[in-house]
Amino acid sequence: MLRRFTLGVCFAASTIAAGAQAPEPGTIAGHIKLTARVRAPLPANAYPSRSIGKHEAPATPEISNVVVYLKDPPFKGPLPVSRVELHQQNETFVPHVLAITRGSTVDFPNDDPFFHNVFSLSSAASFNLGRYPRGKSKQETFRKAGLVKVFCDIHSHMSASILVLDHPYFAIPNADGNYEIRNVPPGQYTIIGWHERVGERSAPVRVDAGRTVTMDLTVPVEDVP
Amino acid sequence: MTPSGSQPPRLLVKTLAVTFITVALLLVAVFVVVTVNVRDQVRQSVAASLESGQRIYAAVENRRQRELQSQAATLAENPTLKATIDTYAAEASTASPARLQLWLTTIDNELEKVAARVDSDALILADTHQATLAAAGRLGDRWPRGRPIALGGARAGETLDGVVRASGMLFRVVSVPLQLGDIPIGTLYLATNLDQRYAQELQSLANAQTAIVSDGLVVASTLPRQAASEFEASAASRQLDGTAQLDGESYAFRRLVQLGGTSFYALGSIDESSRSATRSAMRTLALIATGGLAIALVASFLLARMLSGPVGRLSASLAEAGRSPAGRVQLPLSGSSRELDTLTQTFNALMTSVANAEAQTQAAYTGSIRALATALDARDPYTAGHSERVSVLSVAIARALNLPPEDLEVIRLGALLHDIGKIGVPDAVLLKTGALSESEFDIIKQHPGAGARILRSVPFLVPHIPIVELHHERPDGRGYPHGLRGDEIPMHARIVHVADAYDAITSKRAYRNARPSGEALREIWRFAGTEFHAEVVGALATALPGVTSDTGELIVDAAEQLHA
Repeated sequence: MLRRFTLGVCFAASTIAAGAQAPEPGTIAGHIKLTARVRAPLPANAYPSRSIGKHEAPATPEISNVVVYLKDPPFKGPLPVSRVELHQQNETFVPHVLAITRGSTVDFPNDDPFFHNVFSLSSAASFNLGRYPRGKSKQETFRKAGLVKVFCDIHSHMSASILVLDHPYFAIPNADGNYEIRNVPPGQYTIIGWHERVGERSAPVRVDAGRTVTMDLTVPVEDVP
Repeated sequence: MTPSGSQPPRLLVKTLAVTFITVALLLVAVFVVVTVNVRDQVRQSVAASLESGQRIYAAVENRRQRELQSQAATLAENPTLKATIDTYAAEASTASPARLQLWLTTIDNELEKVAARVDSDALILADTHQATLAAAGRLGDRWPRGRPIALGGARAGETLDGVVRASGMLFRVVSVPLQLGDIPIGTLYLATNLDQRYAQELQSLANAQTAIVSDGLVVASTLPRQAASEFEASAASRQLDGTAQLDGESYAFRRLVQLGGTSFYALGSIDESSRSATRSAMRTLALIATGGLAIALVASFLLARMLSGPVGRLSASLAEAGRSPAGRVQLPLSGSSRELDTLTQTFNALMTSVANAEAQTQAAYTGSIRALATALDARDPYTAGHSERVSVLSVAIARALNLPPEDLEVIRLGALLHDIGKIGVPDAVLLKTGALSESEFDIIKQHPGAGARILRSVPFLVPHIPIVELHHERPDGRGYPHGLRGDEIPMHARIVHVADAYDAITSKRAYRNARPSGEALREIWRFAGTEFHAEVVGALATALPGVTSDTGELIVDAAEQLHA
């Protein structure tokens, strides 16, 4: 059973006076605190998880599986695109969660000494890159916003989430749980904290020109040491 | 002996009956005890077998469920299935209906493939909120999409298995978690329908009859219908174990396992199990009983014989003794038991004294009769000693005729009394020396009848009546009082008639002298066949020389007469 995800939102500071034309953008910053164990223990079972091979717990800390972003902010002009890598290491997709802008390209290098596969059935991107050995890499460009779940059809326990967004206002907290979303035009927004096991949690946030809004989030997700 | 009917049973039969009934009762008691004992032991063994059945069932079923689980878990490691489930869960609220349908179809398809390789009635996939996402298998249609799965039993996630009711059917389910790495994405349930077939399988596992009771209702059972409904109604279906009376049969029952409100029971009919044991015990007992009864029969017969034999012999001896009244009966000692010997001795002593008393009575009687006869003879001096002599002579004649000793005794006394009737004849007639008139002779003729009447009053003298009454009858029918002829006259009377005539001729009378014996014999011979019976007269001739000493006079007389 998953605990209900609660997103405690508090505005610690606020506002600077709004500029007249071409307002100076503001910044949203804060701290994400994981409070509860979400990596749920296995339901009582006489048998261990049926994963294949001896793979260690993912190197990625749980805090890195959180994406903080604004909901449907207006964005004009060409969307900056990026090219990021999603590695396949020790039968695990690294990182587990990725946030990119629409039009960005993801490379899927295979670092394991055996075949891997990358496929997705999601609405935003349905693809299958086929199976390929170590050292090879395949890429996919995501042209539609949405959540793309990525799997390996050889290793059923492998999965990754790619959040494709229509704007650049998102961030993944660092290992300490701190995040920062910069260059946000002043205005009233809904900020969303997303974690794959609990879905979206949202809260209103007002961004003023040239100022930094601090928003700390308490997430009932705990990293396993 | 008295006629049968009111007759008491024979000692032999009585002894036999008592011994036999004792043995029979003993056997019945043994039989009852053994039967009860057998039933008790069978009850215990049935309970023990149910208990071991429970253990075996628990172990086997646990293993079976685990194997199912592991099989299903292996099959569920299907990348397509898991990817589809995870993708569906992520986009359930945002994706287009066509896309959702595509995923669900994919899931259904993959689940069917798993279900085809798992020995389970239904395979149900639940999402992380325990709502049915898809179901496959024979009874998969009982699990509509979206239906929440509530495990009866302990909290979900803590039990290996539980019981779920779906669309009116009861299922036993085993759960397998579905995970992506360590991320739970759903649960796979393997459901087994708790139907009659399951009850049958359970029966073969538990080696006993089974009943599955859910919320107080028997949902499946291998019991007969009536017994099942009685089990449902009884409090037994809420207990761990015990015994219950179902449809007239005694059952031991034990709960195999309880999952929430559902319990699995194993039941064994004590009566049915004990039937064969009881039957074999009965067969053995019947054998023992038959042998025992046969031995008892023989033994009681021998015992009865041993006890009743001497008593029977004694009783027979007594009966024999009772038939010979005068005899001085002495019974031999049997030596079989002290009591019987004492009884015999007492009887012998009694018999001796009785015989003595009887002899005394006889002697007294005889004495009185002799005295009476003597007194009678004494009325007439010419007839003194007449009766005594006639008696002696009659006995001699009878002996010559080879009559039996009893007859001699009868004749001896009868002859002594033959003229007793003359008591009623007046002296004037009796002692008259001249010729008797017609009427006077008629009076004389009455004396045999009078004598008979006198004797009739004394039971002891009844055998002598024919002698007294008929000693004046003649073979030619001219005698008195009845005028009987030839063979109609008894032998005793014939003898006394001859002896009487002989003594009258050889005695002195007032009107004549005594005549010698030879003459008397000749005289009598002359009338043989008319007045006297010829063979008696012949016997008289034979007897006369051998008459004993107490009739010495007679002998002398006779000898004299013969010599003259």
